[in-house]
Amino acid sequence: MSFVDSVLAGLQLVGHLEAFLALAIGVAVGVIGGAIPGLSATMAVALTLPFTFSMTPITGILLLLGVYKGGIFGGSIPAILIKTPGTPASSATVLDGYPMAEKGQAGKALGMALWASCTADVVSNLSLIFFAGFLASFALSFGPPEFFTLMLFSLTIIAGVSGESLLRGALSAMLGLLLATVGLDLIYGTNRFTFGNPNMMGGLNFIAVLIGLFAIPEILSMVWNPASHDGATRGLGKDRITFQEYKSSFKSIIRGSFIGVFLGSIPGIGAAPAAFLSYSEARRKSPNRENFGKGEIEGVAASEAGNNGVAGATLIPLLALGVPGDVITAIIMGAFMIHGLQPGPMMFILNVDIIYGLFIGLIVSSVFLFFIGSVAIRGFKYVADIPRGVLFPAVLILCIYGVFAVNNNIFDVGVMFFMGWVGFVMMRYKVPAAPFLIAFILGPLLEDNFRQAMLMSGSSGWILFRGPITWFFWTLTAITVIAIVRAGIKATRHGKTAQT
Amino acid sequence: MEDRNIQIQLGAGAIVASVFLIVVAIPVWVSSPSNVPNIILSPLFWPNVLAAITALIGAGMIVTSIARPGPETSSDTADADRQGAFKRLAIMAVIMAACMLAMPVVGLVWTAMATFVATGFLVKTTHPRTVVICAVLVPLFLYVFFAHVAGVAIPQGDFVRLP
Repeated sequence: MSFVDSVLAGLQLVGHLEAFLALAIGVAVGVIGGAIPGLSATMAVALTLPFTFSMTPITGILLLLGVYKGGIFGGSIPAILIKTPGTPASSATVLDGYPMAEKGQAGKALGMALWASCTADVVSNLSLIFFAGFLASFALSFGPPEFFTLMLFSLTIIAGVSGESLLRGALSAMLGLLLATVGLDLIYGTNRFTFGNPNMMGGLNFIAVLIGLFAIPEILSMVWNPASHDGATRGLGKDRITFQEYKSSFKSIIRGSFIGVFLGSIPGIGAAPAAFLSYSEARRKSPNRENFGKGEIEGVAASEAGNNGVAGATLIPLLALGVPGDVITAIIMGAFMIHGLQPGPMMFILNVDIIYGLFIGLIVSSVFLFFIGSVAIRGFKYVADIPRGVLFPAVLILCIYGVFAVNNNIFDVGVMFFMGWVGFVMMRYKVPAAPFLIAFILGPLLEDNFRQAMLMSGSSGWILFRGPITWFFWTLTAITVIAIVRAGIKATRHGKTAQT
Repeated sequence: MEDRNIQIQLGAGAIVASVFLIVVAIPVWVSSPSNVPNIILSPLFWPNVLAAITALIGAGMIVTSIARPGPETSSDTADADRQGAFKRLAIMAVIMAACMLAMPVVGLVWTAMATFVATGFLVKTTHPRTVVICAVLVPLFLYVFFAHVAGVAIPQGDFVRLP
C-alpha cells in the first residue's frame, strides 16, 4: 500500500462526524479532568475507557487520545490559577504561571500556555508520523528472543516512574509481574493461583486492576482525610496574549517541543522531566533569565511546550514496538487490546488504516485543543468549584459501572475494590502504583516471549544473544541499569553527607 | 512514621511474602504437568524467579535503609483524627462489601444510589442536597448509557426493574 493509499484508508476510517465528535468530547473531558486537582489526566483516561466499549476501535481510541491531550493541557489551568498542578506534568508551569496570576496576568499566562501547548502538540504529532513507521519497519524482523530483550529493556521504564525510591518502584513492579501470572499457564494451560475460581482462569481483568489502582485509592484518601481542597481561584485579568509575545517565545517553544519529543519517545521518562528540562534550557538561553521564577511568560511557554511535546512522542514506542511510553499510554495500550488490536510493528501491516486514521485524528486534536482550551480557560471557575464531597462519590459510581461493563461480571467489581485497597496501602507506604501497572501489562509479554524463545532453542539460553538486535537491547539494558545503580549510589552518598 | 521505618517494614514484608510464595503458595496453587522436559519451561519457573527477585529487593530495601537513614516524614492526618480516619475506612470497607452483596439482589442502579449517598456523607460533604440529587441522577444516566447505548446487561435485581 502506498503512502497516499494509506492516508486515504485512514481518512475513510475517521472521515465522519462520530470520530471527530469523540475526539472533541475526549479533549473536553481531558481538559476538565486535568483541571480538577486530584483527578489527573491518568484517572480521566482510565474512567473514560469503559465508555469506548460500544464504539468502533478507531473512535474509542481517538476518544482516549483526546482525553490524554486535553488532560496534559488541562493541568496547567489550576497550576496557573491556584498554584496546584492538575497533573504532575504541569509542575514546572507553576514556577512562572502563578507569579503572573498574582500580578493580574493570569489570562496572558493561560493564553501562552494554550498557544505553546498546541504548537508543541503539532510538533509532537508530526514526529510521531515521521518516526513511528520507520521504527516499526525495523521491528518487523523481531522474533521472540528480540521481543524478550526489548521487553526486558522496557522494564527499565520502572526507573523513570518510581518516584523517590527505585527499590520501592522495583517492589511494585514485582507485585505487578506476580499478579500477571494469575490465570491459566500460557503454554501448558495449567492453573496458576486461580484457587479453582473460573473467574480467575483468564487472569485478572486489566481495567479492574487499572481503575482499582488509580481511582479507588484517591477515594479512600478522601475518606481518610475528608478536608476539602483549598485554593483561591484568581481572576483572568484584562491582559491577553499578543502575537508579538508568542513570536518572542517561539524559539523556546520549539526547543521545548523537541525536548518533549526526544524524552517522550524514550519509554518511562514522562512529561514532568521534559517540562523542567525545557524550562531550565529556556532560562539558560533567555536574555530575561533573571525574570524566570518571578512571572516570565517565556517560562510558561517553555514548560508547557516541554510537557505537551511528550504527548504524541510517547505513542512512538507504543505504536511501533508495542511498548507503552508512560502510564497513560499503558492504559491506551489496554484499550487497543480490548478492541482486539495488538500495538506493535504488525499493526503497520495489518491495520494500516487504523494507524493513519489515528495520525489524522491526532493532527485534528491539536485544532480541537486550541478551541476547547480557550473555552476551558474561561470556564475553569465552575470546574474548580465542584465540591469534592460530590465529585468523589460520583467517581466511585462511575468506576463500578465502568468495571462491570467490561465483562458484565460483578467479580471484576470485587477485583477493583480489592486492588483499590492494595493501591491505598501502597500509597500510604509511598510505593508507586505506575510500575505495578506497567509490569502487569508487560509481564505476560515478557514470559511468553521468553518461553517461546526457549521452545525454539530447545531451552538453550544462547538464543537470547543470537544477533545484533538482541545485543543492542542487552547493551541498552546494561547501560540503563548501570546508570540507575550509579544514581542510587550517588543519592546514598549525598544522603550521608547531608546527615553529617 | 520515619521513612526509614517504612522502608524496613516494606523490605521485611517483601521477604516474608517471597518465602511464603516459594514454600507454600507456588507448590500448592500452581500446577505443572509431570512431563515438562526442562525446568525453564515449567509453569512453576516464572513465579519462582519473581518470588526470588522480590526477596532480593526486600533485602536491598533493608540494607539501604540501614545505610541511609531517611528524613522524618510528616503525617497528613493528626494523631487525634487517626482513630476517626480508621473508623471511616472501616465504614468504607463495609459500604464496598455491602455494594458487592446487594448488586445481584437489589440491582446495580439502586445499589449505586445508596453507595453514592453513603460515601457522600462518609466524606462529610458540605452539600448534602446536591449529593442526594446526584445520587439519583448519576446512576440513572449511567444506566441509560450502558444499558441502552452500549448494550450492557446491567443487573436489575429482584425487586424494582427499570425499562
